Amino acid sequence: MGPLIPNGIIPQDWDSIIAILIGLVFGFVLEASGFSSSRKLAGIFYGYDFAVLKVFFTAAVVALIGMYYMDYLGYVDITQMYVHPTYLWGAIIGGVIMGIGFVAGGFCPGTSLCAVAIGKVDAIVYVIGIIIGVFIFSELFFLFQPIYEGYFMGNITLADSLGVNPYWFIFIFTLIAILSFVISDIIRKRNKKIFY
Amino acid sequence: MVKKKVAKVLDLRYVVLAGILIILAGGLVLLPKYEKHEGIKPEQLLSNVISPERYISTDKLADILINQDPSYLLIDVRDEESYTKYSLPNAINIPLKKLLSEDFEAYLNQDQYNVVLYSNDNFYADQAWIICNRLDYKNLNVLKGGINKWYETIINPPKPTENMPAEAFELYTFRKAASMYFGVAYPEQFKAPVAKKVVPKKVITVKKKKKAPAEGGC
Repeated sequence: MGPLIPNGIIPQDWDSIIAILIGLVFGFVLEASGFSSSRKLAGIFYGYDFAVLKVFFTAAVVALIGMYYMDYLGYVDITQMYVHPTYLWGAIIGGVIMGIGFVAGGFCPGTSLCAVAIGKVDAIVYVIGIIIGVFIFSELFFLFQPIYEGYFMGNITLADSLGVNPYWFIFIFTLIAILSFVISDIIRKRNKKIFY
Repeated sequence: MVKKKVAKVLDLRYVVLAGILIILAGGLVLLPKYEKHEGIKPEQLLSNVISPERYISTDKLADILINQDPSYLLIDVRDEESYTKYSLPNAINIPLKKLLSEDFEAYLNQDQYNVVLYSNDNFYADQAWIICNRLDYKNLNVLKGGINKWYETIINPPKPTENMPAEAFELYTFRKAASMYFGVAYPEQFKAPVAKKVVPKKVITVKKKKKAPAEGGC
């Protein structure tokens, strides 16, 4: 039956409208759970708040398990799902830059826009920084192009590239997630209470 | 007291949630695996199989070939030997055994062309059609009667007898013309050259008018 849009159950023309609706809800939930505060976000690097880790890891695990159950029951065809293409070195270098920006600025791109919406000055500066970065990247694209378009691995998932059974992979991934939650809780308890 | 108990249970809520996640993920591992059903549903396949829509007649195909319709793709599902012996013009050979190999997928799984499958009869072509139809490939047709029927109707059309309706004669002339297109020669094409009658030249003498002498005078 699903995915709904590729199989024509929802017409393709609706996808930008659906994207806007999902975006609104996503932004609202981010704001409501305190993700528009750079202090909360940066907490993961200083060990006093692991909300980011918990939220995104849980989201990934729940979506993964739910998706594979839907696939098993025949509601969704997992082979039709969009898998983001992997450009290995582009992803690694981009990830490092993004990580440095995250520690230094206290936002990731999504949450920074969320914080701009509630009028945080640091977020506004951060977004201006993003725009400058985008401008530099576009102007010097010819320099970055070999990395940007090279090392293409195809539309592969982690289970594909490791060559393991996806069901076992999910199980182990879930265990890792829960283990990381436990460890992060222990670390948080050791830290003295920080008010932010 | 009750509140304390509730608080005690609620303290465990993260443990419970983690347990649910682990149980669900473990369930995925333990669930019995089954071969996924590929392509269209069995009911759909059955109704497609019963419907004679897939058949294309030899006359229609001859018409298509003569008009050189570019939207048709002929696929011969017989083995290579029969294909090299005789096949229809511009046909591609995809032996039934190699039907699902990746080399040929681009010919079958597309929606640009109307594919016509044929074999000696329509038996093997029907098998190929069912396999491809099951995989939800589009625009597949089967030549009714296959090469044998093609030979009987187009290459060597039976002459209608006198008591047949006019349509039979029309069909015969069409088939005959088609067979000529595909290279069959008929004896009546080669009429003995008619000897030209030698017509003796008739000499017609044209009397020249004598110039009349000027008459009278002024």
